[in-house]
Formats: sequence, structure tokens, C-alpha cells
Amino acid sequence: MSTYISGGCKNGKSFYAQRVAKASGTPLYYIATMIPGDEEDYARIRRHRDERAGWGFETLECNRDILSCLDHADPKGSFLLDSVTALLSNEMFPHEGVDMDAAERIAGALETFVDRAPNTVLVSDYIFSDALLYDDLTEAYRRGLAFIDRRMAARCDNVIEVVAGQYIVHKGALPV
Amino acid sequence: MILIIGGSYQGKLDYARERFGLTDDAIQVCTEDTLALDFSRRCVAYIDRFALNRVRSRLEPADALLTDPGRLKDMIFIANDVSGGVVPMDPVLRAWREACGRMNMRLARQADEVWRLFCGIPQRIR
Repeated sequence: MSTYISGGCKNGKSFYAQRVAKASGTPLYYIATMIPGDEEDYARIRRHRDERAGWGFETLECNRDILSCLDHADPKGSFLLDSVTALLSNEMFPHEGVDMDAAERIAGALETFVDRAPNTVLVSDYIFSDALLYDDLTEAYRRGLAFIDRRMAARCDNVIEVVAGQYIVHKGALPV
Repeated sequence: MILIIGGSYQGKLDYARERFGLTDDAIQVCTEDTLALDFSRRCVAYIDRFALNRVRSRLEPADALLTDPGRLKDMIFIANDVSGGVVPMDPVLRAWREACGRMNMRLARQADEVWRLFCGIPQRIR
């Protein structure tokens, strides 16, 4: 059972995603996507690690080329990818230049991922409802993330929006 | 009348095209340069962009909807929801955000159906 989760920041997406992944089987994998850039990032990673402690996740470090983490994992296990947003930013903005094909490539890779590892929970971020006019690059990033969201929402069994720790079912049902 | 609302890139226009079989010439796609709504089209998309133009000219966007209700009866309006971020520092964007809210509320009150798109998935909210 695959589940796509999105919503605003600090609404409880990660916590719910962990519960869904935990209920989906073993072994339990956490795909860590963030490339830490500063002390704030390290603090965020520590906080997320502390929150996951005791849940029984094995951490797979994979900040690019998402299919590669299946090389070291049992595809029958339960996978949590948190987040699609970070994955896109890693691939779209490498050390040099901008990769405008990143969203298309990630959407394709994630579809393959969910085919090969059906018990996958994907977490994204809803960054589409503010009243700002962005530069072209930021707009391309938002468009890219929404592109992945829509492709994966079409593919996953469940699509859940998380708001203030509450769950709105857009497709399928609440897995837990 | 039908209002389709949702965040950017959520699939609002694709949904309208598919459900109502809209061709390109049935749709007015508003930009920041749009000066007037075209009620002769079946669908007016991105009324928020039109609203930005009106706000920059110090006009109230919702007033553009004060027309014979019969003209709006069979129309489809598509609006980007721009209400979910931090209050913009720029006074024009601040006014725009509020004007969009007033316009959406007016449309929703008159609408037979209101749909919200999320990750390409429609949900009827009225």
C-alpha cells in the first residue's frame, strides 16, 4: 500500500508518515534526503532522529538518485521518504547550475520505486497557496514539485493532506 | 456557475478542460495584463491574475463581477488560492491577497458548485 502525504509545514506530516510506515511492514526503512548545509540543518536532523528513535527505522542515506537505495534494502519492506521536496531541491540545484529536468526524472524514478517497493510512504510539502510573485527559478521549483505531487498522487493508493495534525483523505483511505 | 479553486499548479485548468471538454478558444487565460473579464467565454481562468492588474490600478476586482447574473450562470471560474502564506511585505501584494479573497467569496456564494484541487485530485467543497 503506497501513501502520498502533503500539507503545510509543522502540521504533523512526518509523524503521521512514520505511523503509516510502521504499520506497513518490516524491515522498516527511513530514506534520509537532506544534505545539511549549516548548523540549523544539523539541528533539524538531530530533532528528526530523536523523534524516530525507538520506532525501529533503518536509515538509508540517499539524497539523489532515489532508486539506488533499493540496492541495499529489501523491496518487500516498508519505506518512508521524507521528503520529496528535499529530493527535488537536491537534484534541481546541484553544486553548479540548475537541472530543469529534475522534476520529470524524479517523478519517473518514484513511480518505478513504488512499483518495486509497494509499501512506500512519500512526504511532500504544500507550498502553493501564498500571495507572492516569485522569480522564475523559484516558480520553476514550485511547478516541478507540483508536477511530482500530481504524478505520484495519481499513482499512490492513498493521498492524504495533513492540517494541524488532522487528516483529509483525497484518495483511498486512511492507512492507520 | 462553477468555481474551481486551489493552490498553484494543482491541476485546476486540466480538470476544467477534461470535465467540460473545453477548447482553447472557450477559455480566457488571464495574466497580469488582463484589463477585463470576457463573459463571452465559457471559462475564465486565473482570475487572481486579473485581480492583480485591477489592484495595481487601484480598482476593486470583485466589482468586475457585478454583471447580469444570467451572464455568469453557465460560466466556469478558476482561481489560484493565494491566501495561505505570510502577509506580504509589499502593500500591493497585500491588497491583492485580500481582494482575491473577496472575489472568491463572491463567486463561491453565487456558484452552484465549488471544487478544490489538491495534487490533481478534485474535491467538492460546495
